[in-house]
Amino acid sequence: MFKNALQALKINRLKTFLVYLSLTFSIVSIFLIHSIANGIIDMYSSMLQTDGDIIITQAKISDTFFSNVDIGLIAKIKKIEGVEDASAFVIGASPVESLPIVAIYGVTKNRFKNYELVSGSYPLKNEAIVGESILYNLEDKKNITVANKAFKISGVFKSEIGFENGGVVINTDEAGEIFNKSASIVMVNAVVGKEIEPLLAKIAKLDKNIAVKSTDNFITNYNQFKIIKTSSTVISFIAFIMGLIGIVSIMSITIHQRRSEFGIKRAIGVKMSNIIGGIVSEAIVLGVLSFFSAYLLATLLLFFIKNSAHLQGYVNGEISLTLAFGVFIASLVMVVIGSILPAINAAKTDPIVLIQGNRS
Amino acid sequence: MINAQNIVHYYQKDVALNGVSLEIQEGEFVAIIGESGSGKSTLLSILSTLLTPTEGELSFEGIAYKNIVDIDSFRKKNIGFIFQFHYLIEYLSLRENIRIAKPKASDTEIEKLLSLLGIGKYADKLPNEISGGERQRGAIARALINSPKVLFADEPTGNLDSKNADLVFELFKKLSENGTTIIVTTHNKALAKKADRIIEVKDGTV
Repeated sequence: MFKNALQALKINRLKTFLVYLSLTFSIVSIFLIHSIANGIIDMYSSMLQTDGDIIITQAKISDTFFSNVDIGLIAKIKKIEGVEDASAFVIGASPVESLPIVAIYGVTKNRFKNYELVSGSYPLKNEAIVGESILYNLEDKKNITVANKAFKISGVFKSEIGFENGGVVINTDEAGEIFNKSASIVMVNAVVGKEIEPLLAKIAKLDKNIAVKSTDNFITNYNQFKIIKTSSTVISFIAFIMGLIGIVSIMSITIHQRRSEFGIKRAIGVKMSNIIGGIVSEAIVLGVLSFFSAYLLATLLLFFIKNSAHLQGYVNGEISLTLAFGVFIASLVMVVIGSILPAINAAKTDPIVLIQGNRS
Repeated sequence: MINAQNIVHYYQKDVALNGVSLEIQEGEFVAIIGESGSGKSTLLSILSTLLTPTEGELSFEGIAYKNIVDIDSFRKKNIGFIFQFHYLIEYLSLRENIRIAKPKASDTEIEKLLSLLGIGKYADKLPNEISGGERQRGAIARALINSPKVLFADEPTGNLDSKNADLVFELFKKLSENGTTIIVTTHNKALAKKADRIIEVKDGTV
């Protein structure tokens, strides 16, 4: 059956190529949308997860960018039994040289150990250390201006997290001045093996203006992540439907043009199920071929996106095995639905009507 | 063997057959003749189950067509059909075209049948690599591979020269003598005379 399917695809080259293109670009779209969305979520999640077990933000604030937490809480939190360490950072964004948005982090000294330094040390007053990715984009590699305040570049760090590698780190005091806040987030590390829940309750009692969550809970329920995931799912679904419409249309034309072939097959006693199976086999061959082409193309595009200087490493994405498997199944569903509907329609028609074309 | 009662068929609003009744016996060689557009091909298509009539009753060996559950298996087991145009699948060789009708046919079986029709050496040729007469014989081989009880042929010699046309009708005659029922449409009265019986269709009636 698959041998005949290959022969049929070969003889209908143009239509095969059109279906192949339609499928490939639909699958590439789904790959890119999901992997970039997941990449953004993963980058931010990784950043938060490396910093502690508990996250403290301002209460009733929907985005961490707008959160303002009293940095003085750190000293109080450290006194609670079961707390190993507490740190804070200010998150902001500012245009730097020709780059419109650059992430600016003001970090406490104890959080600074998370950065893999290439050169330099914790930034003192009027000093900044920059990620490798942004350094590449800077014309002046010795000085940097953040929100009209000049800093000397005192060091360089590297990070696997694109948001950080494309960002600038300064001390919390200066970041607080620039962005007019004490800290965006306070993070707490619990002593290994210590229950988190009691700690959450104790920390929450310190200030009524804070929201205290475990890091896992925070990431799971962070509204921005939910919006990104929902958006990517909706856009992927639209890409899926567009691909499906394309395939159904082209397969319908293909099947219409091959009506006499299907009519002859039915006239000589080939079972309806075999005819449908033959068409679906052709579609599956195309689906598998398109999937692997799309996988390669999407991987290549993601590589260029990740390494594009213009995107500062902020847009990042990898195709996970789960995503690849999910998209593979979606591709097969797409081609099977796309081909089976016109195939069933053809198989139900009287053979002579199929053979003679429109005379019915 | 085949019984048709009061067959009526419409194409849109045009009547193609208007109350045709006939009976065909086992092993009979029947030629259906008539002018172009008389309804002979429609009648053949209906008798062979390839077209569902608008009205009327049909039966094969006493079993009503409408009661046949697996029509595909029924066709495969009982019916062979040859068209005016060969309708071989262009991307398959003669051997592969024949295997569509009988997937389990051995190479020997296919080659023997093709040799019988004088095209044994073309088994692995694509339809566009052989002549029109050879293609038609390939189509005949495809129709005969399952040893059907009834062979239907719609203007099978329409695209053939007189020599090839005679050969095809001689073959039908031999098959009929061996017990195969042959029902063929033609507008060639000379060829039709080789049949046991001639049925003339005129304006949708017999």
